[in-house]
Amino acid sequence: MAEEAKKRTLIAVIGDEDTVTGMLLAGVGQISNDATESYKQKNFIVVDSKTTDDDLAKAFDNYTTKRDDIAIILINQHLAERIRFKVENFTAAFPAVLEIPSKDHPYDPEKDSVLRRVKRLFGE
Amino acid sequence: MEGLFFNIDFGFIEGLVRGYRNGLLTQAQYMNLTQCDTLEDLKLQLSATEYANFLANVPSPLSTSIIQEKASEKLYKEFNYIRAQAVEPLAKFMDYITYGYMIDNVALMITGTIHERDRSEILERCHPLGWFDTLPALSVATDIESLYKTVLVDTPLAPYFKDCLSADDLDDLNIEIIRNTLFKAYLEDFYEFCQTKISYPGNEVMSKLLEFEADRRSINISLNSFDTELAADDKLKLLPNFGKLYPNGNQLLSRAEDIDQIKIAVEQVGEYKGFFDSMNSSDKTLEDHFYQLEMDLCRDAFAQQFSVSTIWSWIKSREQEVRNITWIAECIAQNQKERINNYIAVY
Amino acid sequence: MSGAGNREQVFATRMTLTTMKLKLKGAEIGHSLLKRKSEALTKRFREITKRINDAKLKMGRVMQTASFSLAEVTYATGMNNISYQVQESVGSKARFKVHSKQENVSGVKLPAFESFIDNSINDFKMTGLGRGGQQVQKCKLIYSKAVETLVELASLQTAFIILDEVIKVTNRRVNAIEHVIIPRTDNTIKYINSELDELDREEFYRLKKVQEKKQKQQEIQDLEAKAKKQLLLDNQDKDEAKGVLKVDRGNQSGDNDLINDDDEDVIF
Repeated sequence: MAEEAKKRTLIAVIGDEDTVTGMLLAGVGQISNDATESYKQKNFIVVDSKTTDDDLAKAFDNYTTKRDDIAIILINQHLAERIRFKVENFTAAFPAVLEIPSKDHPYDPEKDSVLRRVKRLFGE
Repeated sequence: MEGLFFNIDFGFIEGLVRGYRNGLLTQAQYMNLTQCDTLEDLKLQLSATEYANFLANVPSPLSTSIIQEKASEKLYKEFNYIRAQAVEPLAKFMDYITYGYMIDNVALMITGTIHERDRSEILERCHPLGWFDTLPALSVATDIESLYKTVLVDTPLAPYFKDCLSADDLDDLNIEIIRNTLFKAYLEDFYEFCQTKISYPGNEVMSKLLEFEADRRSINISLNSFDTELAADDKLKLLPNFGKLYPNGNQLLSRAEDIDQIKIAVEQVGEYKGFFDSMNSSDKTLEDHFYQLEMDLCRDAFAQQFSVSTIWSWIKSREQEVRNITWIAECIAQNQKERINNYIAVY
Repeated sequence: MSGAGNREQVFATRMTLTTMKLKLKGAEIGHSLLKRKSEALTKRFREITKRINDAKLKMGRVMQTASFSLAEVTYATGMNNISYQVQESVGSKARFKVHSKQENVSGVKLPAFESFIDNSINDFKMTGLGRGGQQVQKCKLIYSKAVETLVELASLQTAFIILDEVIKVTNRRVNAIEHVIIPRTDNTIKYINSELDELDREEFYRLKKVQEKKQKQQEIQDLEAKAKKQLLLDNQDKDEAKGVLKVDRGNQSGDNDLINDDDEDVIF
């Protein structure tokens, strides 16, 4: 596990335009020019009205299972809601999937997969 | 004398613009807007104003970006209507106004071309006022040189490119520098145009407004380029060669390395004197000061009759109004009521 | 405690008894150790869940401030293209990365992410050069702070997931020892003991039987000897009259008697 964790240094973002812009401003973005591994090029994806659930799921899979250099995935909660089954089923420790609020969708602790687990554990 | 023949060509348009000006939101209306608790309330309040039911066909829930989009749309529609009515030299004047947006669009297209983005995606993001027929063609060019040779030469912006940038420059210069170089050339050209082609008193008012625009750019550029690799000489090349700060202030600005030095350079001009005093307190930023002054100038511009400068003032005021509405909507949506009064209203 | 079914298949010998006793002792020690580990982990776990709860709520606020500062940028730059510009200016190296280090809680390695900002990389130096550059920089700072909070939260969350897993495993082990291994060993020991006792009892009974048999035999022999003696005495009486020669024979039979006496077993 230690070795695996060492390689993971990037933060990936799945979010709406504003969220991604903010995260990129913070400097999490990385676009590699490595043409051989095309799925590794971008570590962020802007989701707009044209993005389908399939695209979302694909991006999520890409960041969770395909790429081995991502430590944390930030995903807007309302987008996580769209692929909830995937997020729920993803229980591995790495990469950590973090649901974050977006501008138009304030944070709702009730929907968070992890918080739900917390609640369940304490039998609430 | 100047007013004698003005109305033959421009009377209708001036009437229109003044009509639009009266439709601008007033202090009292802004007050009402800030009292809203939800975006739906805001929509209701706005429907009582000139905006009427501009949000009528929008499916809920409302978002701030939609409000902004719709409000801007209204502005573009009105602008295009006036543009269609205009005759020379007013038509040319209005074209000049759009050039500024064109520069943004071209910069956008260049960025997109460099990064091989999807064309339709970029075109969607282009400013509607800066649209020109050959704009979509920009993305056809795959490399920068052909972009310049085949497409840019046919655009109204070609002279600006020609004067200040060669094809080689386009490749390795930062897009922001290209944009600012172009903007400088554009402002100077516009200034020149107003001086020579626009009759009194429009030229006088316009020079005032453009000088302010130039100074604002100068101050901003020097302020935002502290820790960049821009050398003083390169910086000087980006600062417009007119305005109240030109030439002494520009020299000082290009060499300034911290806020205090900028302050010294700027304080030579009375209008900008107080700007840096409140820099430390966070309630009013430099940008706020600029907007405030810009709005004051625009409001004053309406005081002058028989002048085409009212169009410029009106557009700028409307842009500010859209920003204000967006800001208020943003504050409401994000529950940041304590900042809601940061909008700038002068009418 | 179920009966004979729940025990190990062993031969009931004294040696297996010792082994089983050792095993029971080992299981008890293991149980108490694991129990303590699980308690330590659970303590930590509760701490973390509490912190996650707090951090998630804090995140809501932080993110709100951050997105608000982005709104300020939009206001200051007065254009919608800022996000596009930002996306296009992203370089080939991330400025904000995370390093993971490890923390040891009762033998469980918990990863913790640490924010790492490479200040030499700045993709957005020029963004907003002509207008709103300051807001952009300010927004950058605020978002950096926000991402730091998020990174913190992410390490908490990862720790939560790992701890959850480990605690489950440990608890499973504790329960397995408590409810399966210990009773089973206990049963086995009881079984061996009872088997051994049974063997003892059998042996005792057997010996008793042997003794009984011996006693019977003895009695018969005694009776025979008595009869013989009587016979001898009768003969002697007759012989005394006949002569001294017979006395020698009487002595001989006395010797035989002695040997018979010695043969008897001693039972303890």
